[in-house]
Amino acid sequence: MKEVKFLTHEIGSLAKPPWLVKTNAGRPLQQADIEHARLWGEKVGVPGYDRLIAVLDQPERDPNEVARWSSRYALRLFESAGVDVVYDGEQQRSEMYAWAVAHANGFVERGTVRSFDNKYYTKSAVVAAPSLREPYHNEEFEFLQSAAEHELKIPVTGAYTLAIWSYDEHFGPRGGRLGGAVRRQAEIAARREFALDLAHDVIRPNLQALIDLGATWIQIDEPGASTESDELEVFVESFNESVEGLDCMFSTHLCFSDYDLFFPSIEGMSGCKQYCVGFANYDSRELGTSGADRPGYEVISKFRDLPYEPILGLGVLDIHRDFIEPPELVRDRILYAVDVLGDPARIQICPDCGLRTRSWEVAYDKLVSMVNGTRLAEAALNGAHAVTGETNVFPR
Amino acid sequence: MQATRDLDRGRTTAEAVDEQIERDCAAFVAVQQDAGLDLLADGMLRWQDLFRPLLEASEGLEPGALTRFLDTNTFYRAPRATKAAPQLAEPLGEGYLRPLPAPRIVTLPSPWALAKGTGLTPRVVAGGILKPQIEALGPETDLVVLSEPFFPRDPGPKLDDLASALEALGVDRRLALQFVFCDARPALELGLGDLPVDAIGVDFYLTRPIDLPDGFAKTLLAGVVDARSSLLEDPRELADFAARLQERVEDVALVPNGDLQFVAEPIAREKIARLGQARFALAEEAA
Repeated sequence: MKEVKFLTHEIGSLAKPPWLVKTNAGRPLQQADIEHARLWGEKVGVPGYDRLIAVLDQPERDPNEVARWSSRYALRLFESAGVDVVYDGEQQRSEMYAWAVAHANGFVERGTVRSFDNKYYTKSAVVAAPSLREPYHNEEFEFLQSAAEHELKIPVTGAYTLAIWSYDEHFGPRGGRLGGAVRRQAEIAARREFALDLAHDVIRPNLQALIDLGATWIQIDEPGASTESDELEVFVESFNESVEGLDCMFSTHLCFSDYDLFFPSIEGMSGCKQYCVGFANYDSRELGTSGADRPGYEVISKFRDLPYEPILGLGVLDIHRDFIEPPELVRDRILYAVDVLGDPARIQICPDCGLRTRSWEVAYDKLVSMVNGTRLAEAALNGAHAVTGETNVFPR
Repeated sequence: MQATRDLDRGRTTAEAVDEQIERDCAAFVAVQQDAGLDLLADGMLRWQDLFRPLLEASEGLEPGALTRFLDTNTFYRAPRATKAAPQLAEPLGEGYLRPLPAPRIVTLPSPWALAKGTGLTPRVVAGGILKPQIEALGPETDLVVLSEPFFPRDPGPKLDDLASALEALGVDRRLALQFVFCDARPALELGLGDLPVDAIGVDFYLTRPIDLPDGFAKTLLAGVVDARSSLLEDPRELADFAARLQERVEDVALVPNGDLQFVAEPIAREKIARLGQARFALAEEAA
């Protein structure tokens, strides 16, 4: 049997450092902010970070330059934690939804609403047929290609999530809704038209532009995919419309959902080569590799049984708690998944979601623990089998 | 929002956040008073979600997994039971229930919603958590709204369990059971007439008036403002709709179909104003 080696990767966001947040807001820096840059530059080994310190010492700073430095730091944070496939934690983006709609035509901001706790997002309304103003990840990707030492995976917010997170002031009826007069099928039809327009006229040209620049792995982020349980077919259709015929590895990221809802609809999403899914949020912190020990991972057999045999990006870090998962807990989550899926090559390891709500200290410790736990799982599996010297990493 | 963000990032103090919430609450109350609403709400500005304050004030219930709230991009910590019979350790104080200058409503989770996914019965959480909380409310609380997002959506909901839980409350208060953001027809078809509540709330963006049973004898909290849409309601349309409801139901109150936190504050303010305009238009029509 081949030696088991799991690929580890990040998901998307990482908190922005205080020196970037304050620069973007036009606020002065404190000495502690500069120390933050110095400390993390040393800790994760950012090449030439002293040049950033010199920039931060200036009263006037170019936000774009500081954001690029923040990208370098985030890349190195992931890389030095031992993560195989990385991105920059969306340091140059405002936020996954706002960044996309800000670069598309047809949207108007309607104000800020809560997502949970003290986390908010600026929500827009679609007021006209959406279209791409300009490819909005090219500059970022070109820069990261020049700065990354590890392989890159680009997160791109998906069409359905952009649609479901927007108010609809264009596709659906604007009046006559009171009294339950607009039936559900009409609402679904309106959302389908909206999502497919986004897929065809915003997402797809954006993906093509990234591929033209050399992108090999693009993650379509769809945290809103299961928001409406009777619209899963719209999600699937919009994903397919976004990627069909394009030459790249496409994966999708799902999180904080009732994952049972996705079945059987995603049987029709064969262009998705990897499902990167958050499970740790629902799981126990106790060690163990039985089904009873791992309640958060109960649904993974359904991903196993998809006819086109996608990889499962196994979320092993709860990104909304400061709790640092011990490597042994990460190991047991992986071993349970291997037991269920049967084939280690169909498993890759990642956090549940982006780590933007955690401090860099917590995020880093979690990632290190994720990588260490992955190594423990590999050791357990390789110790249990004859090692031939071959490495069994799923080809991408 | 900015104050709580700043608090999370260590840029401000809890006292400063308190002061900001006080100002925001006063502004929200003023909007309601300007609109001429009969019962005021404090906006639940400090509540992280519908359940969290009660979970944190309880022994035997705690915040669990982060869970999507219905078909929204909003999340809550689902209640998780750690004891078979949870108890409210201390009723919520003014931090969560701000004093208001006029008769008010207080919104709490319904016992069905609070028990969902915990393995406990609604009756257990009603008696252990909600009853002492409701009993602790001051006399200015004119109506307790028990918010129920799940019951009509749950497969095979048991009306007897819900009725038993409401009976366990056993409080001398006006109670409303509001079905938020859902088609209330499945619940209405079960027959809600005997439930020990004074009012039933219905989302009329998802429920048709013809689905109201004949002889509906309770107060109808008619959800006529869509709290999930950025589109602004026409007060005339709301008044006309309410007038049609009054042909079938004697006591109709006009309300949003759920929490207004799903739209930005300026939109929420305008929706409240239009709710008030609809109420006055309805009154003029009746006169």
